[in-house]
Amino acid sequence: MGEESQFDAIVVGAGPAGLACAYLLAKAGKAVLVIERGDAPGAKNVTGGRIYAYALNLLDKDLLDDAAWERKVSHEEIMIIDGNRSITMDYHDPSLTEGDESLQSYTILRAVFDQWLADKAEEMGAMVVCGIRVDDLIQREGRVVGVIAGEDEMYAEIVIAADGVNSLMAQKAGLISDIKKETVGVGVKEVIELPAKTIEERFKLNQNQGSARMILGCTQGIHGGGFLYTNQESISLGCVFMPQEIVQHGKQVHDIFQELKMHPAVYPLIQDGETVEYSAHLVSEAGYRGMPAKLYKEGLLLVGDSAGLVINTGYSIRGMDLALLSGIAAARAILGESDLSQIGPAYLAELEKICLLPTMRLSVGYNQLLDIPRIYSNYPQLAIGVMQRLYKVDGQIPQNLKKQVMEAINESGLTVWQMLKDGLKGVRSI
Amino acid sequence: MSRIIACYKWVADEADLKINPDMSVDLSKAKGKISDYDKNAIEAAVQMAKITGDEAVTLTYGSKKAKLSLKDALSRGPSEGFWVNSEKAEQADGAASSKALAAAIDKIGDYKLIICAEGASDTFARQVGPSVAARLGIPCVSSAIKLELCENELKISRKLEDGIEIVAAQLPAVVCILPEINRPPIPGLKSVLDAGKKTTREYKIEELGLLESDLSARTETIDFKAYVMNRKNIVLDGETAADKVKALVGSLKKEGII
Repeated sequence: MGEESQFDAIVVGAGPAGLACAYLLAKAGKAVLVIERGDAPGAKNVTGGRIYAYALNLLDKDLLDDAAWERKVSHEEIMIIDGNRSITMDYHDPSLTEGDESLQSYTILRAVFDQWLADKAEEMGAMVVCGIRVDDLIQREGRVVGVIAGEDEMYAEIVIAADGVNSLMAQKAGLISDIKKETVGVGVKEVIELPAKTIEERFKLNQNQGSARMILGCTQGIHGGGFLYTNQESISLGCVFMPQEIVQHGKQVHDIFQELKMHPAVYPLIQDGETVEYSAHLVSEAGYRGMPAKLYKEGLLLVGDSAGLVINTGYSIRGMDLALLSGIAAARAILGESDLSQIGPAYLAELEKICLLPTMRLSVGYNQLLDIPRIYSNYPQLAIGVMQRLYKVDGQIPQNLKKQVMEAINESGLTVWQMLKDGLKGVRSI
Repeated sequence: MSRIIACYKWVADEADLKINPDMSVDLSKAKGKISDYDKNAIEAAVQMAKITGDEAVTLTYGSKKAKLSLKDALSRGPSEGFWVNSEKAEQADGAASSKALAAAIDKIGDYKLIICAEGASDTFARQVGPSVAARLGIPCVSSAIKLELCENELKISRKLEDGIEIVAAQLPAVVCILPEINRPPIPGLKSVLDAGKKTTREYKIEELGLLESDLSARTETIDFKAYVMNRKNIVLDGETAADKVKALVGSLKKEGII
């Protein structure tokens, strides 16, 4: 520690990224302070609720055993909705829940999970202080040397900005400008309580196993989608939308979400449940394109959502595992590089090594694919139209399949030419 | 330099209460917190100590759950935190709590002023302050909204139904404060960090010369149920906005709210 520094590292934000970093730094004997704005870790975020275990295994394999999980994901599902009709695909594979723990994923409730990880970081010697908002960075000669919270100044060798999407710390450091409307979605989520047994019956789950479901076509044509995760005794159901499109459509977020809840294929899943939590938050939607051009400044590293580390592929969303990875990479850089001015570049190198940046680059294609507006209305309608015709048995002479499919295409408002173009884009982008 | 002791209670946070369909109350998920008005009591002690040059300390009687409270209490400014640790506290009534607190205050010693809140945010039974005073044989002044020290006398403004009474009390004394007395600030980063370095003292009841049986409550909570308060559903009529406001004011007056 320098003469002025009270801590080796100050982490702003007690989410997975910040806590992973704090955990490793404290474990290595560093004096770490974590400052959290919420009254408790996990109080301020809104998240769908699935974490991939490999990331926690990478943080510390001892943590896997008693992590604060809800259910182990045994069913990966995609639901396509058009009007009051729907198709649900359910991928079940015993290897999702058996064998190598580190290849599996779990549903979580962040209020529980973040508190648990914070406790683990504290056990390692980190100090976690909640209910304090960090207002600004202290910068000297272009270098970040500490933080300002209210009337207090606190100095450290390095500050880790883990304060989430639209990071105030990154803004203060000049690494990002104010939020751009096309780079974020608005997410809304309800946690709906139901007895464990009811959840297991409705989703055909074994005890302690869960399903993770992405929902397409539930956003009334708006760029976005829905998600549903089964927790131990609750269901997390939510939607993400592009805010500017909502404004253009003149719709209300909660109206669209309410319609999803009341959908004939969704309502039976949540029926008789009690909504115990309603929340809304920004979600980084731009993938690699939305990442700040620079992820560090001397004395400051951006991790997790602050660094825009979210991948939406359309069939799954990854954010929390990437957050953990970036926290690990930050800690490795700090511990491995004694020259303070070189920690930033070392962090980038660690992000490459831990496969995070390469993964983010690959996600660009998915984002291009998800930019096609037809994905949110015409294609769900087409898939459902085909199904409707396949299963229609009314005693009339059936038309041949090709004709039926063409009919469904026409009905969905798509043209074959458009589909070819989109298909090509799809193949190219992934 | 003598001590100004703020007493507080670690209670279940009512924001986390869950009401079951049969109106029973589920406390199992409730986190703890320092009872709301006790934060005012702690702040009052800190402010008074600043003026008198005395030492503000905190005291709580609670089960092992209350351990979490010590740092929180100290982050609000007092220099030392005392905790009477007994599982008996879970079932304590005013009589039992005041016995434990009075014994601890005796043990802490050299006190000038004891500050309690008028009531706790869970029970609001308003017994602990007066009972502590009775056990210590010192004066007690309740409903305090302002404290002023003049030599060895404390001038206390008491908020009554329709006026303010000013009372002088000889020290040492117990004062029960109302939340109007101050606005406790939210502890800042440094205060929270400093709290971790301050001294805390844990007393077992034997150390206070008490027996388990001394702290048995003589009243018992038999049931704890929620109750439904129906809305009045009054719709105010009126041609103009002014008429409506007049009707609203009239209605509020009728209800005794203003």
